[in-house]
Amino acid sequence: MLAGAAAVPLLLHLLKRRIDLRIDFPAVRYLLRAKQDHRQRLRVQNLILMALRIAAILLIALAAARPIGWLGGSGHLPTALAIVLDNSLSTSVIVDGAPLIERLREEARGLVRGANSSDRLWLVSADGRVVGGDRGTVLDAIDRSDVFPGQGDLPAVVTRAAALVRSAQLPGERITVLTDGQATAWPRGVDVGAIPVIAYVPSGDAPPNRAVVLADARPDRWTPNGTVVLRTNGWGPGGDSATYRVALGGRTLARGTMRANEEAIVRASPTERGWQPGSVEIAPDELRGDDSRYFAVWLGNPPSVRLDASAGSFVQTAVSALVGSGRVALGTDIDVASADAATKLPALLTAPSDPVRIGAANRQLERLGVPWRFGARRAGESAAHGDRMEGVTVALRYVLEPSAGANADTVATVAGEPWIIAGERYVIIASPLIPTGTSLPISAAFVPWLGDVLAQQLGGEAGRVLALASGAAFRPPQGTTGLEANDGQVLPLDPAAARAPMRQGVYFLRRGPTRVGAVIVNAEPDESDLRRLSDAALTARIRGRDVSVLRDAGAWRAAVFAAGNRRPLGTLLLVLLLLVVAAETFIARSGLRRIRRT
Amino acid sequence: MTDPSTTATAPPSGGTTRADLLDPAHLASLGRIEIVARWVVEGFLTGLHRSPRKGFSVEFAEHRPYMPGDDLRYMDWKILARADRWMIKQFEEETNLRAALVLDVSKSMDWTGSGDRLTKLSYAEHLVAALAHLLIRQKDAAGLVRFDDELKSVLSPRARSVHFYRLVRTLAEGHGGKGARISEALFRAERMIRRPGMVIVVSDLLLEPSAIDGPIKSLRAAGHNVGVLHIMDPSERALTSAGEAIFCDTESDLQVSVSVADVEDAYRETVDHVVEEWRTLFSGAGVEYAVVTTDTPFGVPLRKAFRVRENLP
Repeated sequence: MLAGAAAVPLLLHLLKRRIDLRIDFPAVRYLLRAKQDHRQRLRVQNLILMALRIAAILLIALAAARPIGWLGGSGHLPTALAIVLDNSLSTSVIVDGAPLIERLREEARGLVRGANSSDRLWLVSADGRVVGGDRGTVLDAIDRSDVFPGQGDLPAVVTRAAALVRSAQLPGERITVLTDGQATAWPRGVDVGAIPVIAYVPSGDAPPNRAVVLADARPDRWTPNGTVVLRTNGWGPGGDSATYRVALGGRTLARGTMRANEEAIVRASPTERGWQPGSVEIAPDELRGDDSRYFAVWLGNPPSVRLDASAGSFVQTAVSALVGSGRVALGTDIDVASADAATKLPALLTAPSDPVRIGAANRQLERLGVPWRFGARRAGESAAHGDRMEGVTVALRYVLEPSAGANADTVATVAGEPWIIAGERYVIIASPLIPTGTSLPISAAFVPWLGDVLAQQLGGEAGRVLALASGAAFRPPQGTTGLEANDGQVLPLDPAAARAPMRQGVYFLRRGPTRVGAVIVNAEPDESDLRRLSDAALTARIRGRDVSVLRDAGAWRAAVFAAGNRRPLGTLLLVLLLLVVAAETFIARSGLRRIRRT
Repeated sequence: MTDPSTTATAPPSGGTTRADLLDPAHLASLGRIEIVARWVVEGFLTGLHRSPRKGFSVEFAEHRPYMPGDDLRYMDWKILARADRWMIKQFEEETNLRAALVLDVSKSMDWTGSGDRLTKLSYAEHLVAALAHLLIRQKDAAGLVRFDDELKSVLSPRARSVHFYRLVRTLAEGHGGKGARISEALFRAERMIRRPGMVIVVSDLLLEPSAIDGPIKSLRAAGHNVGVLHIMDPSERALTSAGEAIFCDTESDLQVSVSVADVEDAYRETVDHVVEEWRTLFSGAGVEYAVVTTDTPFGVPLRKAFRVRENLP
């Protein structure tokens, strides 16, 4: 389109225009002679005029595109400069004997020193903290900025920086990002519009790194048996295996060597009781922040069970197996019985095998305060759906009907209707646990399932485990009053604005003097992947009209403030346009000779 | 027959302004050509410190007011004593000069670049009339040859005052032929004067130099003093139109389309060059040559023609 517009004067020049004005003039012979004598000069003049007209159209088109470019002169325009300092965990990696964050901070300091009093400065760190003010304030903020033990959100931070810069309404606008260029730090793009962005990424490749990316206690409640599932990842040379140590309550549970990217399972039956902190650690490397990963587990005695004969022989066999493995003890804590024979809660309740006893069962449920009733009888084989219910069929069941105040989790369904439900201190199975009622008691998963129900659902409420990132907001369980740190100090907790601690580790939720759960703070596994984006890829993530990535600190520092002279060229182009038009008018009216004379 | 000159009681502006220095178009609008010619000549003579043919030793002709620079020997002391007026006595010489005024009346002459100016032809006619009046007033014989692409009028030289009015009537005869056969006109002028005299050519010289070179040399060889008044409209000296236009020759089918801005300077240079060529040609032949634009007061070309007269005995 621009080329087409620029061609207009050329076409007009090449194609003769129609001239309507006719003038009687006796001295035409002089005109002819003038044209012949000055043909060469007139031709040059016409070419210059054509060039000027083309230049005028090009300048108009360029001005309409609102370009930004370099202008000469010393110093720089009053500039709104947002310094985005990537202080995510990955920048704590040791490079050339020092943490990378130190290098980024030093470069940031140098940049701030180059600012002048007419500039507005902000330091925006990856964890979202913003400090604005004069040079001294920002330098102080840089000195105090520490590594954030998580990933942060660089795209969101850059968006915030753009908003700050725009709000300043200064002639110069700039965002500079000091980052390690970690690929996982830019999971999505960010659009900064017309604000120029100059990123500094230290040169060199990412160092190799090993990390613990999974440390999970299963289940949360050990009675007292449980497992710790762990996985390590490795990038770069030597990252294919790692030596690990699993600790619980300050005691080593296990040590070993494992391949990267594979899970290892450590089974344990600790003697400790109550909430215990645990960790998985590997040998330290250049990035220390991901060499440990934390978990928490509640340890207790096996639940004691009173087994009623009405539960059936298959349940008796299963409970015997659980007792034999130590996961369950015989006692009085939990009733396992047909609903009509249960005497108290907590209880695992099954439908009576004799339909005649349904009415008695419902009356007993009412007596125990369980807000569910056995309803219509359903016969016919249907598949059950739920956790560990693969292959389980149901031939006989009763519709579970809720009454007032019913509030329970559905553990399994049949034909879209609740079949097994778990409420507060009760679990109801809507079929008798006999082979003619359901295949559940004869399935392979029955014994472990029963063990988990007795230990996890009915064995008592230990509390919840919340896995959070550093500083993440969360809603603590009702009644929580504080957060207990590793050193035993209890920090008050505002339920309306609770945030996870910044430091990685295990923190216990407190309700008065009692631990009622745990908060585990770990870095995001992605943060351990130190592989970097290429300059082009990083430029593509930061979408804007003028984005550049530099790896040389000097060039970057010079570019940031040299870019202060980058400003909209519209006015300059219009001035040039006026000059071109004036020149065109002057030449058109006066000719070349007058120019030569002047 | 009433002398038309008597109807012009006073020159413009009550005699305090010399008519020969007034704007030609303005002056021409004030009266008929013969009256204007008389005003011009009177103004012109007033401005002369010394009349060429009014000497101080022959026959007394008239008085005129003293002007600084006049020789005090010719002061009329009697009038000074009687009336306290400073008057200079003027004397009239007899003359037998024969002059031919050759006027180009081709179509190119009938053009003006502005409505505020006289056409070249009108300007030339007024100038010729003034010249004739000046000559006849000095008792010289003035004749007229008008030409375009043919001889239009030929009026033999006479020195009688009534001849001036005949000459003025001849100026009003037809004109406008597409061309200028000046050689024939000059040849006729040469034959008309016979003995050495004066030939004044008034033309826009839009012709080939070769057409005039031979006849001029012939005139000079015959002992005539020749003057050429090159009449030009100011718009011919420098283009004043704007924009692009097709310029059409008034005498031929010649056309040329130009952007005035593009050729403005080149045209001016060309005209200067042409004028210089004419000047070289005429000076080589001993001919007085002057470019006269139609916005020039008549006194200026009159003085140039007067210079030709001065060279005669």
